[in-house]
Amino acid sequence: MADTMRTEDSPNGSAMASILAAGIGAMAMGLIVILNEAGVIAAPALYGPAGGVTGRTTFATVAWLIAWGVLHTRWKNRDIAPRHIYPVSLVLIVLGIIGTLPPIWGLL
Amino acid sequence: MLFSDRSLWTMAHGIVLGGAALMGLAAALFTLYARASKELAASDGRESRALAVLNVFTAVALWLTVIVGTYFVFPPYRATPPEGLTDLSQFPRSLIQANPDTVWLHAFAMETKEHAPWIAAMLATAVAFISVRHGLKLRTDPSLRAMTATLVAICFVLVAFASLLGIFVNKVAPLQ
Repeated sequence: MADTMRTEDSPNGSAMASILAAGIGAMAMGLIVILNEAGVIAAPALYGPAGGVTGRTTFATVAWLIAWGVLHTRWKNRDIAPRHIYPVSLVLIVLGIIGTLPPIWGLL
Repeated sequence: MLFSDRSLWTMAHGIVLGGAALMGLAAALFTLYARASKELAASDGRESRALAVLNVFTAVALWLTVIVGTYFVFPPYRATPPEGLTDLSQFPRSLIQANPDTVWLHAFAMETKEHAPWIAAMLATAVAFISVRHGLKLRTDPSLRAMTATLVAICFVLVAFASLLGIFVNKVAPLQ
């Protein structure tokens, strides 16, 4: 693990990519759940006994990994100003969490 | 046999894995908070490596928690009882939904538990990655440290809330 740890002066791009990707993953989860509850999409059951939750969570996880991969590739050798990344990521995370709460589905 | 397979999976999900994740998140939060002091911020790389190990452990525990919960505990919970069965003790969802006073345990508690913890697992993975890859920067960059601590705090609240809901569900309709 010591070998993978970068110096204090190394570019922060990969850290910013992981944070923003987590926000995108959270938002993807909330959005997929909301759209599923609204009847716009119907996530398939990837494992029958567990039902549609397997499709919804898998799709959100795949969206998170793709977003992380793309952002990491583009930013890993760059310094990214965090002043926009932090608030945008937090908003995405909060919206994503709100989307997974059943009382919100009742408003649809 | 004292405990059934279903009961053992539930304990592994909620107590062993979920409990380990909660403890890991609490320890990580404390460590990041303590780093605000100048003495700890100037400490050597060993402390950064220890935090990285802790955060990787926590992320792995959280992923195992949600995977075991979704693929091993949830199926027997939501199983449909045979037509005409009156003893619903082996079918927790149906048991909960049969009583108007406990319907919310599925409609709110279990429905929340199905998705929100996956977000916590994503956040914990980002924290683990930052700790491994940018552990030294995390020690000296206050804004990165604050953002990482915020992610850990959100994670902690999500996991604690899901755990509490799980306790409520298991109290009324345990997987036996």
